[in-house]
Amino acid sequence: MRLSILSSAFFAAAALAETHVFNWTTGWGTANPDGTLERPVITCNGEFPWPNIRVNKGDRVEVYLTNGFNNTNTTLHFHGLFQHGSTQMDGPPLISQCPIAPGDTMLYNFTVPDQVGSFWYHSHTEGQYMDGMRGAFIIEDPDMPYDYDEEVVIILSEWYHDLVDELTPKFMSLYNPTGAEPIPQNLLMNNTRNNTWIVEPNKTYYVRLINIGGFVSQYLYMEDHTFTVVAVDGVYVEPNETSMLYITVAQRYDVLITTKNDTSKNYAFMQMFDDTMLDVIPDDLVLNATNYIVYDENADLPGQYMVDSIDDFLDDFFLVPLEKEELYEDYDYQITIDVVMNNLYDGINYAFFNNISYHAPKVPTLGTVLSAGENATNAYIYGTNTHTFVLQKDEIVEIVLNNQDTGKHPFHLHGHVFQVVERGPTFPDDAPEPYNESAPYTPPEYPMRRDVLYVNPNSYFVIRFKADNPGVWFFHCHIEWHLTQGLALTLVEDPLGIQANETLTDNWKQICENVNVAYTGNAAGNDKDYFDLTGQNVQPKDLPAGFTARGIVALVFSCISGVLGCVVIFWYGMADIPDMEKRVLADLNIDERAFLAAEDDEEDASADAMGSTINALSKQGTTHEITTSH
Amino acid sequence: MANRVFTVQIFFIVLRETLEAVIVVAVLLAFLKQSLGARSPAVHKQLRKQVWWGAGLGVLICLILGGAFIGAYYSLDNDIWSKSEDLWEGIFSLIATVLISFMGIAMLRVNKMQAKWRVKIARALVTPPASKAERFKFGYLVKKYSMFILPFITCLREGLEAVVFVGGVTMTSPASSFPLPVVCGLIAGIAVGVFLFYGGSTVSLQLFLCISTAILYLIAAGLFSRAVWYFETYIFNQQTGGDASENGSGPGTYNIKKSVWHVNCCNPETDNGWDVFNSLLGWQNSATYGSVLSYNIYWIAVIVTLLLMYYEERHGHLPFTKNLTLRKLNPMWHIKKKGKNELSAEEEARLFKEANRKLVEQAQNFGESSELGAAKVEKVTADDEATALK
Repeated sequence: MRLSILSSAFFAAAALAETHVFNWTTGWGTANPDGTLERPVITCNGEFPWPNIRVNKGDRVEVYLTNGFNNTNTTLHFHGLFQHGSTQMDGPPLISQCPIAPGDTMLYNFTVPDQVGSFWYHSHTEGQYMDGMRGAFIIEDPDMPYDYDEEVVIILSEWYHDLVDELTPKFMSLYNPTGAEPIPQNLLMNNTRNNTWIVEPNKTYYVRLINIGGFVSQYLYMEDHTFTVVAVDGVYVEPNETSMLYITVAQRYDVLITTKNDTSKNYAFMQMFDDTMLDVIPDDLVLNATNYIVYDENADLPGQYMVDSIDDFLDDFFLVPLEKEELYEDYDYQITIDVVMNNLYDGINYAFFNNISYHAPKVPTLGTVLSAGENATNAYIYGTNTHTFVLQKDEIVEIVLNNQDTGKHPFHLHGHVFQVVERGPTFPDDAPEPYNESAPYTPPEYPMRRDVLYVNPNSYFVIRFKADNPGVWFFHCHIEWHLTQGLALTLVEDPLGIQANETLTDNWKQICENVNVAYTGNAAGNDKDYFDLTGQNVQPKDLPAGFTARGIVALVFSCISGVLGCVVIFWYGMADIPDMEKRVLADLNIDERAFLAAEDDEEDASADAMGSTINALSKQGTTHEITTSH
Repeated sequence: MANRVFTVQIFFIVLRETLEAVIVVAVLLAFLKQSLGARSPAVHKQLRKQVWWGAGLGVLICLILGGAFIGAYYSLDNDIWSKSEDLWEGIFSLIATVLISFMGIAMLRVNKMQAKWRVKIARALVTPPASKAERFKFGYLVKKYSMFILPFITCLREGLEAVVFVGGVTMTSPASSFPLPVVCGLIAGIAVGVFLFYGGSTVSLQLFLCISTAILYLIAAGLFSRAVWYFETYIFNQQTGGDASENGSGPGTYNIKKSVWHVNCCNPETDNGWDVFNSLLGWQNSATYGSVLSYNIYWIAVIVTLLLMYYEERHGHLPFTKNLTLRKLNPMWHIKKKGKNELSAEEEARLFKEANRKLVEQAQNFGESSELGAAKVEKVTADDEATALK
């Protein structure tokens, strides 16, 4: 019954499908979104902020993206889209395409046949989107299952005063050995501070909350209003009412907010930093950002609204999708990865899945898939530092992620929504708890599905999905700093299926040629012998373990010089001092010399010369005085 | 210097100063016994009492002063150090290195010290009052209680020296790390001093001094290396804007570009027990080029200095130079000694004669075999002149 409704909706949408064409040129301008500093921002056709896009289910999207920067490459990723049969339009550089060189134009051309809800788009190049290259991407649903009066898009983010290009070299530096992420200056709502949302009484708003930030998660809560969550990451869920949401970067919550009858008062809509993610909290950092729900523009604006606890936020794990998809009972292929932060030989702090910190290949992985023929099913050719897994068509894949880091991390899988099978609670720093498969556990019957999931500190999560979408999909931490540190891996899903489905467009190839990146060959660019990875990009060497030859030599030398020094001290200390008395004499004044000389004589002769001068003197010197004292 | 209960450096400094005080008291007592023991037991007893009173009071006062000094220091806000703690640790380690280095050499020549002390005691006894007025005031009292004042001053001086040294060496240690090593140092110093001076031979005293000096220099080498290590850490922390090494051991806590070895354990700042190893031998779980080089350079400097001193003791001057001695290399020598205590041969001869005359005069007054003494004094004086002229 449901199926027939859905499929008829699909055909209805397809029939009305239209094509949206966007011509976007990147560039630099200035803006002052947080009201405290005018700073350079990335503009779209000279404008900031970038537009929020709205299309209908089944529509075609054509974005002509021209790189208007002088010296940086760029890319564009539409976050959360499945890109069925169009993995080459997904966006991440050196995964599914080549970076777009300055002056070059890439056409992102895809359809959105089977998804509805809140998505977003952003540059996937080197943290660029934190400088402003991002916006909401809404796919309207012709068969919206929930009733509401009005729809509102609220985009959230943190904001830095410094450019990513300035922050990254300081972050990836010998002098940032702990990998402390740069601290943002403010939180933004709809690209401004103290955002005003004018509401009408007695109405139900469908609010799309989209965190387009690059680092910090936010707590969201409102004064005397509640959120009713109806969708996450483009997946409808059964309504769930809560007073507080916790939204990581790249996550979306579609909520219903019902306004009050009374228009006499305005209310606060609060954003709050998850300050546990900040390495230090500067004194001047305002952790709470106050926005306004305005019923009456003439009434006073509310002050900040405080809550006693931030522990009672909605745990998304317990949400139940509206479209029931039963738990995949068993997996066919399991990927177990440990999240570790560590320093390599250049002193820089990197992020690792197991022992691999993602370093991009020389050829986009999709290019390797499409040029390797039968070898494409062998993960080795994609390079040893890209951490690539090859998935078989339609198998159930389970990813077990053990977080050995003390921070929360929001992980994002391209090309899919995944079932959340299990998510462990926070464990203490000194006792991280890895996933124990044999521990008794009852997973939810209809697990929550989404495309960005956070893992708790020192804990784990387990997700499953069906490999039914041939393509090259990135799986990475959506904290841009951690992606820069290499917290990513590559999934090559059904490579032979990709070869069957997709041919590269001329424009796609041209992009590669213009930026001088090969698009055939293995990860090292070798298209003769796909198993020869000589010259591939690799991470720096590991830190030396304890004592190396250098350390042993240094320690031995130090020991030798210490022992030798002690020997010399003994030798000198035990040696007699020739003419010691004379030497002492040389240090003395005249009286002392004379006296000492006399005394020594007395000593020498004391056996027989009882009444020597000195003896007499000393006797006299003391006894005389004593007698006179009487 | 992270140990909360026992700071090794304090122990050795107190031990050393105690030993010196014990030697002085022992020399005094021996002197009195030799001079008076057999002939005037009553006077001997009284003077001995004076010595003990003086020594005791001196120790007591310096304990009070030291306690007050350190107490006052620690009651002040200690936070001034913590802001750039690594810088201060480095500076104090450097100061401590210098102090211990000079102290150690003196200690090796403590037999020289004994001779010096005999002279000083004698001087106190023999120096005539400058004027008649003084005789009845200060000078008189000094004379009367010289056997009290000498040990009193000595113990006070050694004690205060210990206070200053202890303070300088361990500025950044917690207050709780003071009492135990001070008490232990006192007990050990007295025990060793008494045992060696009365019971043992000069050789065993010498051996003991060598051992303790070697330990002191091991400490000093470690301190020097640590000073460099702290300076490097300070600079690295300035650059990182954080406090990398405070995070303990392991990746991200040190500068790989300067690392010679780094083991993820045995951290003297955070792991119990290793701080003793660090104090005694300068152990670092995260050694840098600077800390390793400075450790070795320090030892080379010590070895070279001792070799030069040995050479000078044999030959009267440094190798390859005829007129240069180690003391002349010290800038303080030029300020303090030159022209003041350095006498011309003629002056010296005149002064010796004068001294000789006085001595003979005094001796004659008491009518006891003055000829022998005078003759001997003259003989030594002549020897001395010969050395001086050479």
